[in-house]
Amino acid sequence: MNYWVQRLTASIMLLLAVSMLTFGAMNLLGDPLFNILGPAAADTKPESLEKVAAAKELYHLDRPLPERYVRWLGDMVTGDFGVQFSSTGQPPVSDLVVERFPRSLTLLVMAQLLASMIAIPWALITAARANRPADRISTINSFLLIAMPNFALAVILKYIFGIKLGWFPLTFKATDPWLTRIYQTFLPALTIALPAAAVYQRLLRTDLITTLQEDFILMARSKGVSRRRVLLRHALRPSLFSFITVFGINTGALIGGSLIVESIFRIPGLGSAIVEAILREDFPVVLAIVMIITTAFVIVNVVVDIVYTLIDPRVRR
Amino acid sequence: MSGLQTDGRVEQGRLLTVENLSTTFATERGPVRAVDQVSLSLDRGQALGIVGESGSGKTVLSRSIMGLLPSTARREGSIRFGDHELLGSGAVDMSKLWGREMSMVFQNPMVSLNPVMRIGEQIAEPLRIHLGMSRRDARATAVRLLRDVRIPEPERRVDQYPHELSGGMRQRVMIAIALACGPTLLFADEPTTALDVTVQAQILDLIAEQREERNMSVVLVTHDLGVVAGHTDVIAVMYGGRLVEVAPTAVLFADMRMPYTEALLQSIPRLDHPSHTRLTAIPGRPPDLLDPPRGCAFAPRCAFARDRCREEAPTLTPADNPEHRFACWYPVGSAEYLETRERIASGLTIGGRS
Amino acid sequence: MSDTITKRLGPLFWLAVGWLAIVSLLALFAPWLPIKDPDSYFLVRGERPPYSPSGTHWFGTDQDARDMFARIIYGARVSLVIGFVAIAFGMVVGGTAGIVAGYLRGRTDKVVSFIFIVFLSFPSLVLAILITALLDRGLVTIALTLGVLAVAPVGRLARATTLAYADREFVTAARAIGAGDRRIIVRELLPNVVIPMGALALLGMAVAIVAEGGLAFLGLSVEKGPTWGKLILIGAGSRELEKSPWIAFGPIIVLFLTVLALNYAGDRIRSYYDVREIGL
Repeated sequence: MNYWVQRLTASIMLLLAVSMLTFGAMNLLGDPLFNILGPAAADTKPESLEKVAAAKELYHLDRPLPERYVRWLGDMVTGDFGVQFSSTGQPPVSDLVVERFPRSLTLLVMAQLLASMIAIPWALITAARANRPADRISTINSFLLIAMPNFALAVILKYIFGIKLGWFPLTFKATDPWLTRIYQTFLPALTIALPAAAVYQRLLRTDLITTLQEDFILMARSKGVSRRRVLLRHALRPSLFSFITVFGINTGALIGGSLIVESIFRIPGLGSAIVEAILREDFPVVLAIVMIITTAFVIVNVVVDIVYTLIDPRVRR
Repeated sequence: MSGLQTDGRVEQGRLLTVENLSTTFATERGPVRAVDQVSLSLDRGQALGIVGESGSGKTVLSRSIMGLLPSTARREGSIRFGDHELLGSGAVDMSKLWGREMSMVFQNPMVSLNPVMRIGEQIAEPLRIHLGMSRRDARATAVRLLRDVRIPEPERRVDQYPHELSGGMRQRVMIAIALACGPTLLFADEPTTALDVTVQAQILDLIAEQREERNMSVVLVTHDLGVVAGHTDVIAVMYGGRLVEVAPTAVLFADMRMPYTEALLQSIPRLDHPSHTRLTAIPGRPPDLLDPPRGCAFAPRCAFARDRCREEAPTLTPADNPEHRFACWYPVGSAEYLETRERIASGLTIGGRS
Repeated sequence: MSDTITKRLGPLFWLAVGWLAIVSLLALFAPWLPIKDPDSYFLVRGERPPYSPSGTHWFGTDQDARDMFARIIYGARVSLVIGFVAIAFGMVVGGTAGIVAGYLRGRTDKVVSFIFIVFLSFPSLVLAILITALLDRGLVTIALTLGVLAVAPVGRLARATTLAYADREFVTAARAIGAGDRRIIVRELLPNVVIPMGALALLGMAVAIVAEGGLAFLGLSVEKGPTWGKLILIGAGSRELEKSPWIAFGPIIVLFLTVLALNYAGDRIRSYYDVREIGL
């Protein structure tokens, strides 16, 4: 119990620190007034001054920084993400978040799914043929995949499958039906999935090889169980622990790591939203999305820890 | 599993014939001959004990006969099981025989059972694979098997995981798994080494009981002569990968010829020795199988070895009883042996303590 | 014994080092080498660029007839400098913080570790984008931003290694003869911590170079001059990509090989060092 309390406190402190860092960075390094109103901020014409006054009022820009932070924090905790910086109406940030979130989620889920679907069979095959030619080639492949930067991989995949083979579309519309959206998400998901699959496969293969040397595997063979069944039914399950842990942690990392892929493939998700927001210095949006990403990351890590204690019998006992 | 018949099943008489079996492993440092020209045979219902120190090749021998070796192993010779020849190009697919006609009980029940699979499932697996049983039938049979091996509350145990059972119970489960499809040949590889002494006897008795009921042949592999004494019909002694003495059990104990067998017997601590009697160990270590010695493998450690022993490897020759074979130039009871005995007794030669 | 397996760094390692040396040297001495000017247009009358790889243009030209080979080399100057400065900063700041925290433990350690964790949990790309967008996009800013991001992972490793070593006998022995803390850190711990950090440095450079590429793809890399990331971006976004793949794949291959070489070299040093550890 004590452990979880510690965990919780640490996580909360972490989130606070992250929020302070972001809030501070944005407000100290940027110019909020300018971002909201554009050039009109420095203008001395009466209408502009009015706008300036109104903006200051709305965004509390006259108050000292710490007070603004606390105010923002209070709002955030109660679910009010504030409104976007805009001189043309103030759409609430939450609208943007709600609109973009599903696309990012789809991308993430698809990427992890693809990665597992690639990694598990790949690991099974290479573990069964450990150190033989097929395995050695596969090791080289994994290494190459992991070294390849994701944007380069994106370009390569786009080139091969989008341009040369024409299998996947290169433009997207926000109004596309659900099924088309899944289809569009495939290539970007693959870009994320391939390096992740290489990492998963390496881990799983190592654990499988270790498990295959255990006595109970030989015992299963002595019962007349076929090689294939031994691999799938006896060796796989005890070998999944490290994979599951890394899978979980990676989910957290991928939440933030899909920024570039989203931008390259022009997926209207949270990642591209935050990039756009930073570029136009829309603080509330940036803050909100950073908090969402970090919170998700923290939650995922905690969940991974819980799941691990549940499924590993050694830890359980 | 009475009443189960398959084609070609041997009901009486000769079940297994092994001729000049050799097993060589390809290792980084060169080929290792773990089993060297072993020949033996077994009838239906007989129990054979294979005895030797660690490194003698006894485990490799049992696995060689079964065929449960890694891909780095090469076997030569002939193994006839019933109608089937198990070695060579016309060899039958072993996974059809494993679990069905011949099965194995492994040494350490802690690590030989799948930790994440329920007991019942592990017993049911061969039933479903070989006999095509349905889930329900297999489970019922598993319960019955647990009862046969004397595990209390089998209906409850069948759904448990291995770590919920004690060592002795786990070994019984292993036996249940091995017996599931009613094999004609059971290999027990050091079945009691990892268990408490009190449990050891129970396990051995259980095996003996099942053997009688099913008219099953048993190969008992162990380093402990005490284990084979009461539970086997024939004993084969191995050293350095070779067979050095084979005899019916009573004959072996009454009339052992090979000094190694004698040394083995003497190293067993006995209750009727006065307390603080020193344990007799056989000095030295087993031979390096990478570079096997030219003569008798035991010569370096044998108190009775002479020049001929070191030059020429003795072959298995019959004793008075034709079923008794041994490999020694100067066996127990021979003139040379008695002479050396004298000299040890009068302190003129350094030899083993008696 | 001739049979024992000697753990060497291996021929591939030296191949990787060779490649890195070539790229670095070319980048370093670029202005004095007989390569074309990266910003000049080498239009050939009557033919539309991009021109395919040939004797005059080893890597071809881009769609504005600028020589790809030269652009890649000049791009290397920027990318490598960024990588190097970033990781150097990370090593100096992070390494020091990590070693001190690992050695002193107690409150210092708790505070430093917490700072590390905050930075590690923060989606790093976001922080990089944030700072580059808010400040300027000069070479120094970007390099230092990535450097700040490198502090936490490097520091964490330095701390872990220090913790592992601080209990060792030679440290206790040094203390027993009256050596002060600073002396111990510098003379005893530092040499041992440096090796795994060296391996990490190579890996870190790879990450920094890739990060620059990522920033470029978001339009946030250095403003003037080519970088590898920018080159790939320009090439990939061009309509000419289909018929003239070299405009993107030239820089991609060079980038990939460099990152691969860094990864491999770092990996080999790490495992070489590990094996020797076990032998101790």
